[in-house]
Amino acid sequence: MTPQPIWSPVALSNMVDPSTSTGAVVNGAELVVWRDSSGKAHVWEDRCPHRGMRMSFGFVRGDHLACLYHGWQYDTAGQCRHIPAHPQLDVPQTIRMQTFASAERNGIIWAGSTTEADPALLPAEIAGLVPVRSLYADCTMEKALAILAATPLPGVSDAPKIETISENYISLTAGATRLLVAIQSMGDAKLALHLMANEGAPIAALARYAQALRLALETPLAEVA
Amino acid sequence: MAEVAFVFSGALVQASFRQFAQHRANRLSLGIDFGAASDRFFDVTVTGDEALVDMFEMACSLGPYDCIIQDVTRRDIAPAGNI
Repeated sequence: MTPQPIWSPVALSNMVDPSTSTGAVVNGAELVVWRDSSGKAHVWEDRCPHRGMRMSFGFVRGDHLACLYHGWQYDTAGQCRHIPAHPQLDVPQTIRMQTFASAERNGIIWAGSTTEADPALLPAEIAGLVPVRSLYADCTMEKALAILAATPLPGVSDAPKIETISENYISLTAGATRLLVAIQSMGDAKLALHLMANEGAPIAALARYAQALRLALETPLAEVA
Repeated sequence: MAEVAFVFSGALVQASFRQFAQHRANRLSLGIDFGAASDRFFDVTVTGDEALVDMFEMACSLGPYDCIIQDVTRRDIAPAGNI
């Protein structure tokens, strides 16, 4: 079995607004990523303990995430606090979500592999980054790294200088542009790449670069199609 | 608190149904005792908050994917508040 990263990127921070939820997949595990009304991000198993409904279909009420199906509400620790059909019920501690550690670093929401993942193992902070976009591709990690290393950044003809920050986080530099790529392994040859760049970088050009990059990542499949 | 004896009947895979019932009881903080069982029925007695006992009944009436529950009989051994 291949060791999994302690921290995996699951979304660009700016793509999850306060009081909203969305789904993410890390190595086949389905997760809900949501922000409470104060803006803190949370990552849980995407499954209500009651009937198995995806919590990413749910809705945020203050600092609770409510299941779409029967409205069971869970607090930020994942503990069920309210069952609408039994409003007087003292909900037992056993009705709770599977939670994972979560953190925001460098404009990205990261999910820990466990509830107690060590924040000290997050990538180091890099100041002055702005979001570009996320892209999704059917591609292996090895192929993605090879293509990223070989593809020139916008406005530069040479291949970028590549720096491995961690096993799923790399930096590409060419000229005055620095692109940070956080790579989320969704499953067998399925990746999400979350792109951030330094302030002043040509964001629109980098977004077009990302579109072209996705085609390159999926070239064999595109040729078959 | 209530104590309720259930008989779930239908087409049952005993090990599967037992595991499912145990999991739901644990989730709902209910005490559970397993009684007689066959591939046609399963006797279960649970103890706990009445609302949670009702949730247990609903969950087990749907059952695990490989069991078909066709009928549920329920007998209150000790009604709510008498335990």
